[in-house]
Amino acid sequence: MNRNKLLPSLVCGFGAAVLTTVPGVKNFACCLIVPVAAIISINLDHKINRSEFPIKAGQAILFGVLTGIFAALFSTFFDLLTTYLTHTNDFIEALPQTEDYIRQYKLETLLSQTMIIFKQMSNDITSYGFSFFYAFAMLMSNLFVDVIFGMIGGLVGMSFFNKRTTNI
Amino acid sequence: MTLRFIIFIALFTWSAGFLLSSIFPDSAYIIIVQPFLKKIYGSVCHQRIEKTFLLNGHYFLVCARCTGIYLGALVISLISLFSLPGPTENFKLLSISAIPMIIDVTATTTGIYPYSKFIALSTGLFFGSAVFVYILAVIENNFVDKPFINEPE
Repeated sequence: MNRNKLLPSLVCGFGAAVLTTVPGVKNFACCLIVPVAAIISINLDHKINRSEFPIKAGQAILFGVLTGIFAALFSTFFDLLTTYLTHTNDFIEALPQTEDYIRQYKLETLLSQTMIIFKQMSNDITSYGFSFFYAFAMLMSNLFVDVIFGMIGGLVGMSFFNKRTTNI
Repeated sequence: MTLRFIIFIALFTWSAGFLLSSIFPDSAYIIIVQPFLKKIYGSVCHQRIEKTFLLNGHYFLVCARCTGIYLGALVISLISLFSLPGPTENFKLLSISAIPMIIDVTATTTGIYPYSKFIALSTGLFFGSAVFVYILAVIENNFVDKPFINEPE
């Protein structure tokens, strides 16, 4: 895949990440942002690279996966940047509430270890604005979710554009 | 059928993720992972409290409309295990199913009528069901009938 093939996914992934960071836009589109970005990336590829329809399923999935990967990378970057600048985030803000809840339980080793990791993460963020574990966890979860939603968008886009081409 | 079962399990797991804290409000395991789960679902939903269902003292991790979309897809995926032979890629049905949702979003945003969680849930259920049928058709038409996936006769 050459650089021009990556460009539509990069642009749409970046756009999706920006939109997921803007709260007002998120109210409208919610979970549809990444799938729609994947659909648009297929259309962009057709316009930029003069790709021919019908598009193959594997190619559509690849566009979806790439859009999802770029969306996850950029949205994680925006999240980490905001966390670095403010030295807090909603995860850290929710942690004391979680501690209050679980004080009533006698925690097993696994749970207490998890809580220690979370506290360490919270300390790192409030002190330095960055936690490696938090960054890694966010990147992995964003990659997982965005790639799946991107693949769904890629498949819907493929079906839509192929059908439109055959109708023309 | 195997593919449909895998999709059902995936949807069930995804739906369980945002419902767990409300269904098992006293589980220490779930309370501990709650902030992390909230962050994961936050990447696909605005999670505004006034637009989210509250059950057993815990809010769902996605809004009413997203709850509808995922549960609609889950219910149809369950039904698809027993019936729904060979769905077709009907883009008209998909478009029509989005219309009530678009009207509701537009009307509540412009203040024509106040936001209702139940209307949002209903429009989400309708859209989620149609999206699932459409995506299942796309997947089955493109992957299941390939020779390397077919079972030997």
